[in-house]
Amino acid sequence: MSPIFLGLLATLAPAAAALLLLIAFPLRHRGAPAAWICILGSLTSLGAAGKLLVDRLGGAPDARWVEPWILERGVPMAEMGVLIDGVSLPMLIVVCLVALCVQVFSIAYMHDEPPRAFGRYFTLHALFLFSMNVVVVAPNLLQLFFGWELVGLTSYLLIGFYFAKPSAARAAVKAFWMTKLADMGFLFGLLVLFVSTGGFEWTSHPSTAVATAVTALLFVAVVGKSAQFPLHIWLPDAMEGPTPVSALLHAATMVAAGVYLVVRADPLFALAPATRDVMLWIGAGTAVFAAGLAMVQNDLKKVLAFSTCSQLGYMIAALGAGSAFAGFFHLGTHAFFKALLFLAAGSVIHAVHSNELSQMGGLRKKLPLTTTAFVIGALSLAGIPGFAGFFSKDLVLASLEGRAHWVPWTMLMGAAFLTAFYMGRVVVKAFWGQVSEKSAHAHEGGLAITGPLVVLAIPALLSGLLGGWLASQVSVPYSLHLGLTPIVASSMGLAGVAAAVFVFGTGRAAPFAATLEKLDRLSLVDRSWAFAYQVGLQAFPALFGWIDRYLVDGLMNFSGWSAIEAGASARKLQTGKIRDYALMVVAGVIALALIGVLR
Amino acid sequence: MSHLLATIVAAPAIAAAILLLIPNSAKLAVRLVALAGAVISLVGSIWVALIYDRAAAGLQLLETFPLVPSLGIHLKLAVDGWGVPLLLLTGIIIATCVLTSWTVDRRDKEFFILLLVLVSGVFGVFVSQDLFVFFLFYEIAVLPMYLLIGIWGSSHQVKPSGPFKFVWKRFAVGSKEYAAMKLTLMLLVGSAAILVAMFALWANSGAKSFDLQALEATRFSLPVQHLVFPLVWLGFGTLAGVFPFHTWSPDGHASAPTAVSMLHAGVLMKLGAFGVMRIGMVLAPDAAVWWAPIVGAVAVINILYGAMCAASQTDLKYIIAYSSVSHMGVVMLGAATMTTAGWNGAVFQMFAHGIMTGLFFALVGLVYERAHTRAIAKMGGFAHVMPAVAGFFTLACLSSLGLPGTAGFVAEFMVFAGAAKGASTWWVIPGVLGAFVTAVYVLRACKTIFWGPAPVGAFATLPDAQRTEWAAPLVLGTALVVFGFWPRLLLDFIDVASNGYLGRIPLAALAEAVTR
Repeated sequence: MSPIFLGLLATLAPAAAALLLLIAFPLRHRGAPAAWICILGSLTSLGAAGKLLVDRLGGAPDARWVEPWILERGVPMAEMGVLIDGVSLPMLIVVCLVALCVQVFSIAYMHDEPPRAFGRYFTLHALFLFSMNVVVVAPNLLQLFFGWELVGLTSYLLIGFYFAKPSAARAAVKAFWMTKLADMGFLFGLLVLFVSTGGFEWTSHPSTAVATAVTALLFVAVVGKSAQFPLHIWLPDAMEGPTPVSALLHAATMVAAGVYLVVRADPLFALAPATRDVMLWIGAGTAVFAAGLAMVQNDLKKVLAFSTCSQLGYMIAALGAGSAFAGFFHLGTHAFFKALLFLAAGSVIHAVHSNELSQMGGLRKKLPLTTTAFVIGALSLAGIPGFAGFFSKDLVLASLEGRAHWVPWTMLMGAAFLTAFYMGRVVVKAFWGQVSEKSAHAHEGGLAITGPLVVLAIPALLSGLLGGWLASQVSVPYSLHLGLTPIVASSMGLAGVAAAVFVFGTGRAAPFAATLEKLDRLSLVDRSWAFAYQVGLQAFPALFGWIDRYLVDGLMNFSGWSAIEAGASARKLQTGKIRDYALMVVAGVIALALIGVLR
Repeated sequence: MSHLLATIVAAPAIAAAILLLIPNSAKLAVRLVALAGAVISLVGSIWVALIYDRAAAGLQLLETFPLVPSLGIHLKLAVDGWGVPLLLLTGIIIATCVLTSWTVDRRDKEFFILLLVLVSGVFGVFVSQDLFVFFLFYEIAVLPMYLLIGIWGSSHQVKPSGPFKFVWKRFAVGSKEYAAMKLTLMLLVGSAAILVAMFALWANSGAKSFDLQALEATRFSLPVQHLVFPLVWLGFGTLAGVFPFHTWSPDGHASAPTAVSMLHAGVLMKLGAFGVMRIGMVLAPDAAVWWAPIVGAVAVINILYGAMCAASQTDLKYIIAYSSVSHMGVVMLGAATMTTAGWNGAVFQMFAHGIMTGLFFALVGLVYERAHTRAIAKMGGFAHVMPAVAGFFTLACLSSLGLPGTAGFVAEFMVFAGAAKGASTWWVIPGVLGAFVTAVYVLRACKTIFWGPAPVGAFATLPDAQRTEWAAPLVLGTALVVFGFWPRLLLDFIDVASNGYLGRIPLAALAEAVTR
């Protein structure tokens, strides 16, 4: 089978599942069949991706196929197609694998939903996988944008899955608006690229000025999608969605699309050092800022959400330092361990029926497998040597080393400490300590819950070892080294965990937590956006509405009124009385005579 | 079939004539005859799309009947690459309109007669190759609106305010009679302008003919063009909702009954934009180029101003009506770019917006018929009771905000690409900003109406779409997605025509006009 066929199959199988579920609504309304159709689609995708991988290991080359999508003067203006290469294939496998795990997990997690909602849930999942794969296999930036917007749509619909809850409804539109606001940058970037190069290829070679403009505009969209400061505020709210959705969209894959975009468009970014500098600082800043906020959250999912912001910051910083590979590698390992963490959190929430850390505790004894999975994920995230996260985080930090980037390097090292600290805090609070009232009745879920945890735990442990292979796929040198960065990074991770155990294991409060909470910086950003919304999209339009109704339309009405009034005045001339007409005749004669005399 | 176009144009009118012979009491027969008329036209339109030879391009399926030969007036029908998608649009909309109107119970026969006569006029405009007949059909399409809105419409209150408060004494602003009157009068003023332009063209053409091809063969002198283009722009532009002559649209579309809103916003507004492009830009290319920067600037105002006004509305129908004003700005912007991409996008947007707004109004009508309110603040949680309506409404919203995968994206993208490549690049910025504002107001409305806790009281038992009500959502929703993924199904027709007509535009003069 040709790689193009397999790539198309991987993309279109979930689309077929989604379409079938949309059209054959009885299947969707019955619930269970929808899950199986969706999973069948994802299995097909994963199978196709696996076959592609096997072929590639056997030496298959890159493959690219495009078809004209829209025409201008009879020639293609934009194309759609499939590109299978060293970047898209690993991403495809990560996406399909995580998606499948999450979908299987969801069967058990969403079991209590009414059948219709259950069916809708899986229809959206199939639609999501299709959209995400459109992004992954995109041969040009236009198709990437196409899929980019579609994943935004599925994100909106899945965050708003519990649409009866006003908070979920609000979170959904907020996520859509924030990302859409940023996506204007993508659209402008595409247009600038199109005008300067006549196409949407990342392999084109525009001038530095154009490349800077295009990449800066694209980066705006990345900031939105990958939840970087100051557009990150939608991501914590997005936790209103079902937990498996948070695992798949808002941790492992969709939010990483921003990073993927930069990795794909690396040739363009390489031409724009100015954009990269901005990326470096925004990434590093977000990594620290979000890690700080993760320390003080009491909602388990929000800790993980801020952690996602923070980790995406790492990736963006690496990309800004010019190492697309480090960012890409961290994207891959992060997808596994963060999906694992979210699914383990889902397992906890499923067992405890609460998101609040304060209502958990002592779950170690009740949920041994979940605890193991969560701890593996947490250690991987904390960058403890040997776990997957260590290798990729090390590479990110090493990419900053010795490039006069010592400030961001230090910031990320600090964030590494905070990461280990907040994850240690969660682990201690939720799994150790006293068994809480709600934890007392907790018990491990069925195979659909535990199976995906086990499957994801393996790459969360071991995918760090694939760095060499991945590097060979994208043709960059790769070697493990023992230097300043790995030593400091692993000490930071270990110190963070130790500090957390020391502080929370003895029941103390986190240092500075009160101060952090008081600063409440998230809501400051949040409130600024809310203010911008109230002024720009409520008060300002109200002014326009008034102007249109009472001035512009008022003027129209006035012209109508003038015509009527003028007619009414003219009507008064026609009195119907002979003497009036006679008077007018006489006046007319006199006037004419006067004119005649005066001339 | 040699008289395919004549059949498409005449079928609704003939159905209307047959309806005159059917007693009022035969309700089902009335509806079936109306449906037959609409479906014949729809099938004919699909047939046209299938047999139109894209490689040959140009005018095809030509038929000529002499009307007033002494004055050079012929009933000359033919279709070009722009006509094909617009015929399809009209066919799809009228067929779904008839099905949507199945439940009209007051003077239903008269309603269908007027609807069908009107749509015959619309079909006629898109295939007329004679300016006089073009205008004749245009008037047939515009005038029945007065009765359709005045009799079958709905009224609401508008609070008197502002510097022109005193005129409220004269008019019942917000009532259906007011809306119908305003719409008709404003469009008639536009018609008067077109009439002047038409005779100016006729008098200055060597052949003293109204034949569009004969007129195209004449390169009119600049003064004539400068008289004709602004008249045509404002005349047809009024129907296309060009600022500031758009104010008939919110009141008119809000007051009109469902099918009439669908038809008017979905198809009739396109007549205006089509007229500006097909008559104004093609026959007066030199003046069009001179005016292009102004047309484009006004279009940009339309996009952003319309979106802002829509964002301030609390009445569901007004939101959709203002969104039409905004989206028609996209059409006019595409036209003003004078690029192939822009023109392709403009015509594609005519189609996409027609389908999308048709879907919107069908769903709004459905909601209104059940909830008996259009104030979105009073609604909430309707997705619990009418999930299908909610789903299709969301789809219409997505096309409205230009989401990839819907026809709206293709159109907007091409228009923006055309604008970016054209002489006035800055138009892109407010254009894209308008699309963002659209995302805000449509999704806000969608959230308020459909999301939230399950409705209680009278709203708790509202039924979902039923029987014939399914037609519009299913057909129009499918069209939005199909043409969003496979735009070439239409674009291949549009492109050949844009290319041909664009050959007449003196592009070198365009850059000059912009720097003026």
